[in-house]
Amino acid sequence: MSEIVTIQQAVMAEDEKYAFRVRESMREKKILAVNIIGSPGCGKTTLLEAMASRTDFSFAVIEGDLETSRDAERLATAKIKALQINTKGLCHLEAHVVEKALSSLDIDSLDVLFIENVGNLVCPAEFDLGEDFKVAVSSTPEGADKPLKYPMLFAQAKAVLLTKMDLLPYIRFDKEMFLRDVRSLNPKAPVIELDLLSGTGIEKWVSFLSERLREKRAHAV
Amino acid sequence: MHELSLAEAINKTVKELCARSEWVRVRRIVLKVGHMRQVDAELLSFAFDVVAKGTVSEGAELSILELPIVFRCHACGKAIGGEGTTFACTNCGSTNVELLSGMELTIESMEVESQQVL
Repeated sequence: MSEIVTIQQAVMAEDEKYAFRVRESMREKKILAVNIIGSPGCGKTTLLEAMASRTDFSFAVIEGDLETSRDAERLATAKIKALQINTKGLCHLEAHVVEKALSSLDIDSLDVLFIENVGNLVCPAEFDLGEDFKVAVSSTPEGADKPLKYPMLFAQAKAVLLTKMDLLPYIRFDKEMFLRDVRSLNPKAPVIELDLLSGTGIEKWVSFLSERLREKRAHAV
Repeated sequence: MHELSLAEAINKTVKELCARSEWVRVRRIVLKVGHMRQVDAELLSFAFDVVAKGTVSEGAELSILELPIVFRCHACGKAIGGEGTTFACTNCGSTNVELLSGMELTIESMEVESQQVL
């Protein structure tokens, strides 16, 4: 005998329990948690490297990759505290993995925790890791059509970072279209233009983060 | 292939629901999926068949109800349903809109079997 039962439960309900716990722990410790999402090669790790000694807040990084610890090694060379997670094929990080990582990272003295997600514009946008917000990173050589192709990410992002601006003279990139499409999905998120090799734009990104950290702490009191 | 991630999440949630209610077999799962989720129903069903192997959901049919994107425009006051995935009012162009539907990802109902009492 079978019966039909009404469920009405979010598919992600199981994972959301872990996300809730991560978020609670970040709130108690007054740490701003930022989930960084972008394609492979868009400059996520370079962004973090470029922030070394340019911030007035302390930070650490949880690095998500399918294989290798290369990103964490790069950050260690830049004297940034980083913990590598290998997802062994999974295309995104999930909250239970982040919670486990937090237990092996000394976070008590931190101001900001970055979670560099697996390079992918699709799946990471679906999963709540317990972060304060997601940030979308898109590089100019990827093309200006990415926001409308991956609307879920760009609609949720608290900020959109446009990297490799120094390549504009050599490639075709319709910046007006990119900005217009981001606006149509997400009217409020600032678009921060970056050239990570020269460091142009980093100040703006860092002050965006400082402001969010200040807000979180003011809110927590 | 985010359908595989979603299939795994669905399977995990269904397993948990079954363990809690002592359901031993799932025949059918009705899902509500908002258009913004960009889910390919055929791919999701295929992925679910694969991940459900050896679990209570093995062989279960996945019925997907796709919900369109609907938002209310705060500028002109109209409720608009769109074909695409942008959040601009198709009446006045304003982006000052509130999403009413389109982000759903919910297990609406299930057809299940309980343990046979002999």
